[in-house]
Amino acid sequence: MPAAADARGAAHRWPETSLVNLARLLLVAALVAAWEWGARSLGLLFIAGPLDVLAHIGAIAASGQLWTDLQATLAATAVGFGIGWTVGVVLPFLLSWSPRATRAIEPWVIASMGIPKFALAPLLMMWFGIGLAPKIVIVAFMVFYMVFINTFAGLRSVDRRLVDMARVAGASRGAIATRVVWPSMQPFVFSALKVALPRALSAAIVGEFLVADRGLGHAIEYARQTGDTVGVFAGIAVVTVLVLLMNAALDAIERQMLGWRPKPASTL
Amino acid sequence: MSSFLEVAGLEKRFAERTPGEAAPWVIRDLSFTVAEGEFVTIVGPSGAGKSTILNMIAQVEPPSGGRILLNGVVVLDAHKPVLRPGLDCRIGYVTQDDNLLPWRTLLDNVLFPLEVQGRLDDAARAHARDLLQAVGLNGYERYFPHELSGGMRKRAALIRTLVYDPPVILMDEPFGALDAETRAQLQADLQKLWAMRRKTILFVTHEIAEAIALGSRVLVLKRAPACVIADHAVELPRPRVVDDVLTLPAFVQLYDTIRQVIR
Repeated sequence: MPAAADARGAAHRWPETSLVNLARLLLVAALVAAWEWGARSLGLLFIAGPLDVLAHIGAIAASGQLWTDLQATLAATAVGFGIGWTVGVVLPFLLSWSPRATRAIEPWVIASMGIPKFALAPLLMMWFGIGLAPKIVIVAFMVFYMVFINTFAGLRSVDRRLVDMARVAGASRGAIATRVVWPSMQPFVFSALKVALPRALSAAIVGEFLVADRGLGHAIEYARQTGDTVGVFAGIAVVTVLVLLMNAALDAIERQMLGWRPKPASTL
Repeated sequence: MSSFLEVAGLEKRFAERTPGEAAPWVIRDLSFTVAEGEFVTIVGPSGAGKSTILNMIAQVEPPSGGRILLNGVVVLDAHKPVLRPGLDCRIGYVTQDDNLLPWRTLLDNVLFPLEVQGRLDDAARAHARDLLQAVGLNGYERYFPHELSGGMRKRAALIRTLVYDPPVILMDEPFGALDAETRAQLQADLQKLWAMRRKTILFVTHEIAEAIALGSRVLVLKRAPACVIADHAVELPRPRVVDDVLTLPAFVQLYDTIRQVIR
């Protein structure tokens, strides 16, 4: 096996990222192999084979169905996320200027967090119909709580001394909010983003399970009802890829924006 | 000398722990004056409320009693506790910690006050460059605080205050927690900068030697509740090399006097 020997010989000279990428590829290969094995041993009714799924994705991409569904799901995710995110960030900021308002409002927000959002779906359908609106509302709710709690934690973590320094240096309230408080909170903001974005997508899809005439969730649910296992798997595969892409984009943005931070300790 | 900064009967006590029970005093009836362009050092034992005094003058902490006047005008009155931190950029404050913004580069940290004051123009940038040059920070402008040494960060914090030219500068043990060599260098830098533009400086330290070596006048505080118990003019020629003045008879004599008072 000369090729393998060569690869091993070169390994210690490879940059670390190549090694990590290689390990990731191997994991994916193992996963696909296990998938194929599962399909063969359990039967295609329960587990669709990877190649069939790929072919199915190719077919729905060619027919345009994939793009229609993607568009619907992404629209619900994006709009709902945008609303939940904005309110989740702005509300704690406004409250931080009035401790009294905080004491009045915060317990209600925390208490209302306990309401299971999906249980509201029948009500939301009654109020908003079966189109995009109820999904947007569910996504917005999901995102709002996660962002609200993280933003609050971030606000409380801001170093008082930095704020005092800025005030003494002549910074206005607005300047302190945008140049001291907001940058201080970035690590919290990003952890909120990372948790909330995949959840937003999930919420949109579950919303589509319940009632919809298009969207990835609708496609998966429709395939399930018609016994189309390949269709179900294709939908799951598309959603997984979507989440991976979102995370990669977030990581890239985070690296860009938090480049000032010292490298994290290798052991915690 | 006429008084430029006047602290009159300044008082501070702890917040009440149990209602009705008198909280202990940190500072009691503290009064002193500082002339324009004077370099006054305040020395006192640890826990004498030195930082609290500067916090109140900088107006980031409210006093429990007393007044502060700048140029004969009352700028802080305990009866009207509306704080104006930094007093419209007329009082600069170099704190014990450097308080640099970790997400800003050294240069952006130094320019921060000018930026938020809306005074960031080419002349201001040039001024900042000159100051950075004067303390040997040129070449490090684009590094983040966590990449710099403690001494460099202290210098940056000092320059950040000097760059917008506040007439009064408060300094709270800015050179504590530094090694002896870096500290001597910074003390020299500070004297050089003070000689360049005669700012009114109020410098707090717990080290008697530093207080004498830097100040034109030394105020001695007693332990809590703090107030001024001695006021010494320092008759040492300038420019002073801190290491060299330590052996001068005038220095030694003053050092002993102050040490006996503080003990």
